[in-house]
Amino acid sequence: MISDALSNLVFQTVILASPLILAALGGYFSERSGVVNIALEGKMLMAACLSTVVVIHTQSPWLSLAAGILAATVFSGVHWMMTQVYRIDAVVSGMAINAISLGGSNFVNSKMIDPRYSGPMPYFWAGALWAIAMAAPALVWAYSRWTRSGLRLMAVGSDPDKARTMGVNPLWVRCLALAGTGLLCGLSGTLIASNAGSFQDNMTAGRGYIALAALILGGWRPVPTALACLAFGLFQAIELSLQGTVRIPSQAWNSLPYLVAILAIAGFSAKNRAPAGTGKL
Amino acid sequence: MMALAPRLQDVAKPLLRVAPVAAVAVGLIVGAFLFANVSPAVALSTLATSAFGTPQGFSKTLEETAPLLIAGIAVFVALKAGLFNIGVEGQLLVGAFAAALAGQHFRGSVGVLACLLAGMAAGLIWALPAGLIKALRNGHEVITTIMLNNIAVLTTQYLAGGPFKDPTSQSPRTVPIDASVAMPSFHVGSQLMVSPALVIGLALVVGISVWLFRTVAGYELRATGANPTAAKFAGVNAKTMIVYSMGASGAIGGLAGALQVLAFKGQFYDGFSPGYGFTGLGVALLAGNSPLGLLPSALLFGALAKGATSMQSLLGVPKGITYVVMGLLIVTYAVVRYRKAVAHD
Repeated sequence: MISDALSNLVFQTVILASPLILAALGGYFSERSGVVNIALEGKMLMAACLSTVVVIHTQSPWLSLAAGILAATVFSGVHWMMTQVYRIDAVVSGMAINAISLGGSNFVNSKMIDPRYSGPMPYFWAGALWAIAMAAPALVWAYSRWTRSGLRLMAVGSDPDKARTMGVNPLWVRCLALAGTGLLCGLSGTLIASNAGSFQDNMTAGRGYIALAALILGGWRPVPTALACLAFGLFQAIELSLQGTVRIPSQAWNSLPYLVAILAIAGFSAKNRAPAGTGKL
Repeated sequence: MMALAPRLQDVAKPLLRVAPVAAVAVGLIVGAFLFANVSPAVALSTLATSAFGTPQGFSKTLEETAPLLIAGIAVFVALKAGLFNIGVEGQLLVGAFAAALAGQHFRGSVGVLACLLAGMAAGLIWALPAGLIKALRNGHEVITTIMLNNIAVLTTQYLAGGPFKDPTSQSPRTVPIDASVAMPSFHVGSQLMVSPALVIGLALVVGISVWLFRTVAGYELRATGANPTAAKFAGVNAKTMIVYSMGASGAIGGLAGALQVLAFKGQFYDGFSPGYGFTGLGVALLAGNSPLGLLPSALLFGALAKGATSMQSLLGVPKGITYVVMGLLIVTYAVVRYRKAVAHD
């Protein structure tokens, strides 16, 4: 009985934390290369939208996954163009991407998804994406610590000028980093749609920002970031399983990640764990 | 004399830079209309006639413009100090909620003042953590204000649906404010309706212009925004200015919410703001250097909001198109403005 409840809680935590982990690691690549990324939310939303459109129209899980990844990667590429080629402030361009995604997914949703559709929706198998989300933090950690391109990523994020004198081209490194962000946000968005089994307007509902909060809380390190995501997932899983039995308003639970993030910024910023080259070109 | 005349390449370079982006933006919007099976020309004329064609339509446009203008002013004040206050959305929500509560208990013109002050105080309090964390701990204000936005949405949702819920209502909304504190729109001419909120917004633009460009505090604020290090050496306490501008921005954001309750809505409810604060960011980003730029910018977004409603009901164009247009406008404008200088050019 108790072990049943416990395994259920663990399972719920994995389900709820997986999209957060994928998105937060997406943010890790971007921010470690020196591009502040508040556009995780928009990239995930667009991925969720297009993967649903494709799954309805083609009935193919693989094509749906590809569409989700493609959508987020295209938006990430646009983000790269804006911040690196046109040198627009990363926050301004991130806001613009979020706005375009919010409006664009509403547009695509109301034009391409029949609200009365009730046929099968064979999304990509969520179990595989959960597994990826569980394995990814260690892989990303190993990548940025032990591989040549991973070390270059860290170098560019710490000091683009020094990286440049070492013969590393920050533009190109950031291009790859943002492609990684797109890939992971695409996985995350597809997983969110697949967990819900459909697309609704603004269905990411701030999860891109929670992922950002986890990234900050984890001090821009992959494994602690993933642990923060798991903690947020656990909070939510506890809330869901206690629903109705304990008189704590759900809004208080849901505020918790944001509140913790603010405290983290207030407490840790003096030590400043953020990549040193953030925003530098 | 030669140096004063703009060289061709100084004019041509930004144009060359902006042209492809503008072309892509226009292409995307035209494509979206074609995709929705609507001729772009028809869409544009529907937008223009519904927003400006009739006195009723224009009144509605002005109604949409008022909160966007004030939210835009809020963003603008912070932007002048070099801060991105993405939190205007949250400050507007808590301001609206505070005003909706005050409006139940206060009466008459004193009551109006109390409501507006309550809204401003709530917005100020909601913005202060971001300002203080930026000034004292150098924590990025964009991140803190995003988090504060989400907390504001959840908190006001809880309060309006729980302890302060109107018992006679099915949905989460507060008890309506007293009729004596409402600020109804008034007639200008025979058919045009103008809301006091818009008048206050216009006065605020003038006030902010004077404050920023004619007072010492305003000068110090702008100096902080232009170059915090230089400002510090010139004797400006940059930390204080950061907290001031964030506080002022939050108070104005709260005022926008309070006016929205008093002038139009009469109560607070879950889902109160359809993103006024975020659109206000677009308003301020497109306004350029001068506060006067906020007026055309806010009117543009007000007309878009009104026009989008008509395009949806008459032509079946999804409402999301307004956010797409806003994002593309920001990007196009940012290509020539919000650029980063690079040393190794």
